[in-house]
Amino acid sequence: MTSMAIEVNQLVKSFGAVQAVRGLNLQVQRGEVFGLLGPNGAGKTTSLEMLEGLVQPDSGSIHILGLDWRVHGQEIRQRIGVQFQSTQLDEKIKVREVLDMVSKYYAKTRPVPELLKMLQLEEKADAYQSKLSGGQRQRLALGLALVNDPELVFLDEPTTGLDPQARQRFWDLVRLLKSEGRTVLITTHYMDEAEALCDRIGIMDHGQILQLGTPRELIAGLNQPSYAELEFAGMAPDAASFSQQAGLPVDVKNQYWVIALHDPKRDLQQILACVEALNLPMQQLHVRRASLEDVFLQRTGRSLRE
Amino acid sequence: MKNANIFLSQFVLGLKLYLRKPAAMFWMTAFPVLMLLGLGTVFSGQSEPGIKLVWSAPQEAAGADFALQAALTELHVNVEALTPKQADLRWKSGKLPVMLETVGNGYHLRVNSYLAGQGMPVVALVQQGFLMVQARALGSGELARIPVQMESPGGHHDGPYAAFLLPGLLGLNLLMMGVFAVGMVDVELRVKGIYKRLATTPLPRHIYLSAQMLVRLVTVLFSATVLLSVGALVFDIHNQGSYVDLFVLIFLGTGCFASLGYLLASFASTVEASNGLANLVFMPLMMLSGVYFSLDAAPVWLQKTADLLPLTPILKSLRSVFNDGASLASQSASIMIIAVWTVLLFVSATRRFKWV
Repeated sequence: MTSMAIEVNQLVKSFGAVQAVRGLNLQVQRGEVFGLLGPNGAGKTTSLEMLEGLVQPDSGSIHILGLDWRVHGQEIRQRIGVQFQSTQLDEKIKVREVLDMVSKYYAKTRPVPELLKMLQLEEKADAYQSKLSGGQRQRLALGLALVNDPELVFLDEPTTGLDPQARQRFWDLVRLLKSEGRTVLITTHYMDEAEALCDRIGIMDHGQILQLGTPRELIAGLNQPSYAELEFAGMAPDAASFSQQAGLPVDVKNQYWVIALHDPKRDLQQILACVEALNLPMQQLHVRRASLEDVFLQRTGRSLRE
Repeated sequence: MKNANIFLSQFVLGLKLYLRKPAAMFWMTAFPVLMLLGLGTVFSGQSEPGIKLVWSAPQEAAGADFALQAALTELHVNVEALTPKQADLRWKSGKLPVMLETVGNGYHLRVNSYLAGQGMPVVALVQQGFLMVQARALGSGELARIPVQMESPGGHHDGPYAAFLLPGLLGLNLLMMGVFAVGMVDVELRVKGIYKRLATTPLPRHIYLSAQMLVRLVTVLFSATVLLSVGALVFDIHNQGSYVDLFVLIFLGTGCFASLGYLLASFASTVEASNGLANLVFMPLMMLSGVYFSLDAAPVWLQKTADLLPLTPILKSLRSVFNDGASLASQSASIMIIAVWTVLLFVSATRRFKWV
């Protein structure tokens, strides 16, 4: 158990003229839940597919559980589990049937009844998979990634499109995987998901990892402990004169202003004084701490869900 | 041992999934049976013996032509006498291939140019009848006839059109299996990412694909059994050759057309594209290979081309075995063509096959 779960050096992949991944470096410890975040087109999917052995890199090296895909492909497949963003199955296959079938592919497996219990799918064991709800289907997809009791699990945007309750349920399963000592590599669009689940996060854009660290480290790295958000009756007014008078830069959104607070006590007094002086129709004032979303905006210049 | 176990489970599951999809079952099994029942009955030549001919004659002339009428009856031509008015209506309906008209003291034949293929043989019969009438009028006595015997080309069977059709439908079933059940399904599995999921598991790919092949072979054999049973029960047509030989031909055909299906699938990146591509290949192969009728009347270059297509030699051999009781050894030329096609298709399909 001395090797890393994932060790990637200078990974490069192009599709024609498009360089999808340009020199990716990544190390994931065993037992870690690692989140890979990035906007669409950042190279997340291509990177993940190279780690899963589906796509051949142009150059660079990948070691999964200390093994090289080019030499030990079959052994790696025995020891990893993969869940895609959408796992489609034959509509007329039953839950138990597909788990039984996939179990046969592996040397080491977890008993299917135990999996059904863990996934809370016991009642649906003999239902066609097409009759499952979105949350149940995602749990079944996770189950398929877990039949071989894998040491490393890849989850690609596993909760996209799920309702809040189903997401919470899925998060509990991911926490369970961590408590069992498995390594998890997860990609997501949701900042709260990354904050809630991940030990470490890599922010990816333009085929590279821009920043790496624990959620706390990343937020602390902003040097921006908190933000004030001002809401107005109707559209947010022009901020030029306010900004000049208060001496604070304003990020104008459609419905509200965002103002970074460097010295909360002084800045907040300044804001309220200027709102009063300019007679602005402010209705609400919120103060919130910096989030991963702010880190993301600052590093990539775009919102995660764009 | 482990692989044998996976193979068996994958095969059983594949068969179960197939049985749970009635639409697929219908196309693969019921469609050929319905074709056999429909076309086999329409073209049986039993429900309406002889050939139909509309004869347009004025009221006063009717009954004056006993001589020609008698000659046509001898020639198995069923005459329907109509007044010019009625006949004209029928002609304009467009369904008549040919019409005989009494004009003054003579006759006139009108042939529908759209249906000349059906009309011209009737014209020849009417001309022959008219010659007989003239010869008898000259008093040359009873005319001699060339003896006629109806039999299949191999001489072992004198079955109706259904007997020609049935082996054709066996071959059609192979073609449908290849382009639709293999080709289109393969694209769907790839587009949906089901192959991609499999590719992340240690499942050996050849095990998966060969289990799929066995499912196809079993479904084709099932459809063939149903078709043969309906042929025997409804039309009283039976396999004149060996069932082992039939099986070998179906086995070879399955390999050939499944490869064709996989090769086609490798050119389509969406289900819609695969549908178009499947029909693009299916239609000409079905029409040119002589499933439903002989291509004897077609231009020679077209026949020569059709002979080289993969379905033609299979149909030829299936007919030789089924209708004439030929042995496989006598079919070596056809089997060679099938084998060359299979190797070509299999090698290109294997090279182009994509999991992701």
